[in-house]
Amino acid sequence: MDSPGPNTSLQRLQNVEKRIVRVLELAGGVMDELANPSGSRKDLVSSHCAEFMKLIKDIQMTLREEIKSACDYRPFEKCDYIARVSNEICSKKLEYLAAQLDNMKQTVDEYHDADAV
Amino acid sequence: MDGTLEISIDKLPIKRLEALEENGVERFPSDVGYEERRLNLIHRIDFGWAVDREDSAKKQKKDNAGSSSSSKDATKPWPWKSLVENLQSAHQELSVIIDLINTVEVNDAVTVAGMTRPKQLPNELLSDLAVSTATKLQCYRHLGKYFKQSAKGLEQQIAREARFYGALIRLQQNWKVKRHRSAASPGNEGFFIDLFDNSLYDPTASFRPSTISTVRVEHDAAGMLALNLPPKAGRTLHFGFLCENSDSTATRASRIKIVGSDPDPSGESNKEPESDDDCVKNKHAVLREVHRAIFDEQVFDLVNREAFNPSLGVNVTGIRENYLELNLTQGASVFISLMTPKQGDHMVDSVDYQNLESALVTSEFFDDSNAKNKTKDLTKKTVLPNRVSCEIFLQQTFHEQVFVQAKKRTTSGGKMHSGPPTTNLLGHFCMSVAHRIFSNKILKALDDLVSRVPYVHLISHPTWNSRTSSWTLSVDVPQSIIHASCQAQISEKKVKTQFRTKVLVNDDCIKVEGEGAPNVVGLFKGTSERICSINRYDCDLADLPMILLQQVASQIIRWLHAEALMVGIKANRDFLCLSFELEQGETLGLVAHVNPEDSIGCISWWLVMDDGFTEEGKLQSEISETDNRKFLGHLSLDMLYSTLLDLVSLCSGGGNH
Repeated sequence: MDSPGPNTSLQRLQNVEKRIVRVLELAGGVMDELANPSGSRKDLVSSHCAEFMKLIKDIQMTLREEIKSACDYRPFEKCDYIARVSNEICSKKLEYLAAQLDNMKQTVDEYHDADAV
Repeated sequence: MDGTLEISIDKLPIKRLEALEENGVERFPSDVGYEERRLNLIHRIDFGWAVDREDSAKKQKKDNAGSSSSSKDATKPWPWKSLVENLQSAHQELSVIIDLINTVEVNDAVTVAGMTRPKQLPNELLSDLAVSTATKLQCYRHLGKYFKQSAKGLEQQIAREARFYGALIRLQQNWKVKRHRSAASPGNEGFFIDLFDNSLYDPTASFRPSTISTVRVEHDAAGMLALNLPPKAGRTLHFGFLCENSDSTATRASRIKIVGSDPDPSGESNKEPESDDDCVKNKHAVLREVHRAIFDEQVFDLVNREAFNPSLGVNVTGIRENYLELNLTQGASVFISLMTPKQGDHMVDSVDYQNLESALVTSEFFDDSNAKNKTKDLTKKTVLPNRVSCEIFLQQTFHEQVFVQAKKRTTSGGKMHSGPPTTNLLGHFCMSVAHRIFSNKILKALDDLVSRVPYVHLISHPTWNSRTSSWTLSVDVPQSIIHASCQAQISEKKVKTQFRTKVLVNDDCIKVEGEGAPNVVGLFKGTSERICSINRYDCDLADLPMILLQQVASQIIRWLHAEALMVGIKANRDFLCLSFELEQGETLGLVAHVNPEDSIGCISWWLVMDDGFTEEGKLQSEISETDNRKFLGHLSLDMLYSTLLDLVSLCSGGGNH
C-alpha cells in the first residue's frame, strides 16, 4: 500500500496475513490434487507441501519477532490537544490577517486605478 | 409380506390350574425355565414368510433376468435397472434384519448370542475398497474446496480490514483512539476517539468531559472507517456587536470554505468514490471541527461563569439558551453565543431586523455601508472593532490564561498555588473591546483634526497592549526654512525643528504630553531654549481637539520665538502670542487663534498692534478686524517664517507701521 518492501512492522504483519492466505490456497490445491481420480502428481504435491512448510516457518518467525518488539501499552502520556487548540487559534488569526491584507491590496489597487484614470 | 395378518395371542402370565386332585391339592404346571421360555418365544416367531418371500424374490429375479434378456432386443435397456433391483433386494433383506433386531431389543428375553461376519468374497472386498476410496476422494475434494473458499474469504477480509485499520492508524497519529472491549460486537470493534484532554486534572472540575468528546468509529457500507458524531457536535463560538450587519458575512463565508465538507450521513453530496487518502483527510477535518467545538463550549462555559460575578465591570443584559448579551461601558452591546453555522446565518438576519427598530440608541455606531455597496466611503468609518478579531481575542485570552496555565501547573510537578487563579478574564476582554471602541473614536477625532491642519502629521504607535493606545502629533519645520536659517545664521545653538505632542490612552483615560507651554522659570531667566518643559494633561474626548490645537499652536510660537532670537531680535512670548517691541513702546504681536470647528484650518493668525493703551484681555474676544488687528489667515509654516522675517526687519529697521 504505502512503500515497497516490509519496512514497518505493519507491513510485515500485512505480509503475514497474505502468507496465511497463500497457505490456505496451497492446502486447497493439495487436497484437490489428492482428490484427483486418476492419481495425484507427486511432484506437484511435494512442491506445494514444501512451499507450505516454508511459508509456515516464515510466518512463525515473523510473528515471533513482532511479538517481541511490540511495545507496551502506554496510556497517552503526552496529549497535545492544548497545543492543537493554540494552533487552531493561530490559523484563525492567519485567516483574518490574510483577509485584511487582501483588503489592503484591494484599496491600493483601487487607488492606482484612480490615479491611472 | 403378503396381505394377511396373523395374530397370535399369548396366554396371560398367571398361574393356571392344571389339575385339581380329589383331596383338593392344586397342581400347577411346572415353571418354565428362563431358557425354555426364551426358546419358546423364539420358536413362535414365524420366519416362514421371509423364507417364502426370498424364494419368490429369487424366482422373480430369474424371471426378470430372463425377461430382460429376452426383452433386450425389444426395448432399450435402462442401464441402472439391475442396480435398482439389487438395491431393492438388499433393502428388503436389511428391513427383515432390522425388524428382527428391533424385536429382539424389545423382548429382553432374547439376546443376540453372537454374530459372525461371513467371509467376504473377493469382489466384495474390492468393492468395499473402491467405496472407501471414493469416499476419501470425496472428502479431499470437499476439503480442497473449503480451503480455497476460506482463502478467498480471508483475502477479502484482509483487504477490508487493511483499509479500516490503515485509516485508523493514521487517525491515531493525531488523536487519542481508545477501545471498549466490552462494547465490541461482530460488526463494531468498539473503537472510539477521545477528544478530551485528561491531563488537565483539576480538582475543581472546571473541565468536565463534554458530551461530544467521544466519537465512535464504525464501518460504513464499503467496510471503510466512518465516524459517528454525537449530536450538537458542530457548534462554534460567535461574538458580535448588536448593531452590526455588514462585515460578518464575508468572514463567515471564508471560514466555511476552508473547513471542507460536513459529514453527510446520507452520502448524497459526494457521488464520486473518494480515495482512501481523501477519506482520512476528511475524517481529520471532521475531528478538528469537533475538537474546536469542544473548546468553544468550554470557553462559553467559562464566560458564563464569569459573567454573573458582580465584581465584573460589565452588565448582563440578556440571556437565552447558549446566548449571552453584555453591555459595555462605551455604550455598545455585544453578544456571545454558541451556535451551529446555520443558526449563525439566521442570527445575523434576525439581528438586522431587530436593529432597524433599535438603531436609535446606538446610531452613532451604526455602519451605513451595506455588503452590496462596494464603494468604500472613507469618511464614514465605524468605530466598532472587527467582530472576528474580537472573537479570536476572546478565545485566545481564555485559552492562554486558563488552559495553558493549567497545563504548566500540572506539568511543573503539581505545584498547586491556591486553587484556580482569580482572574477576571471576561472583564479584561470587555475592557479591551471598550478601549478599542474608545480609541477608534479618538482616532477619528485626531484624523479629522490633522486633515485640516496641513503641517501636522499623525503617527500611530503600536503598544502591544490591548488596553493602551498611543499617537503622536508632530509638526516638522519645512526643509526650506532650515536651509535658509542655516545659511543666514551661523550659530551653535540648534533650533528645534520637530515638535511632538503625544496622546496616550489607557482604558478610557486620555493623557496629552507635549512641550511648548512657557516654562515659568525659563521666562524669568530669559533663555528658554534649553529648558523644555513637558506638559501633561488629562482630558476627555470632547476637549481633546482644543487642547491639542493649543499645544500645537504654542509649539509653533515657541519655534518662531526661537527663530527670532536666533536672528537677534528681542521678542516676548506669551502662551499663544509672540510680540515684538517697536520704538515708541508699541508692540506688534503675532497671535494664534485656535478653533476646532473651523472647517478650513484650525489655526489662524492675527497681527495685533498694541500701543500700550488697549487691554490685553480684548485680544481673544474680538475677531473682527479693526485698526489694531489684522487677520492673516491660515498660514503655512513657510508663510509664517517669512512673516516673522518681515516683522523682524520691520522692528530692526525701526520703521513705521
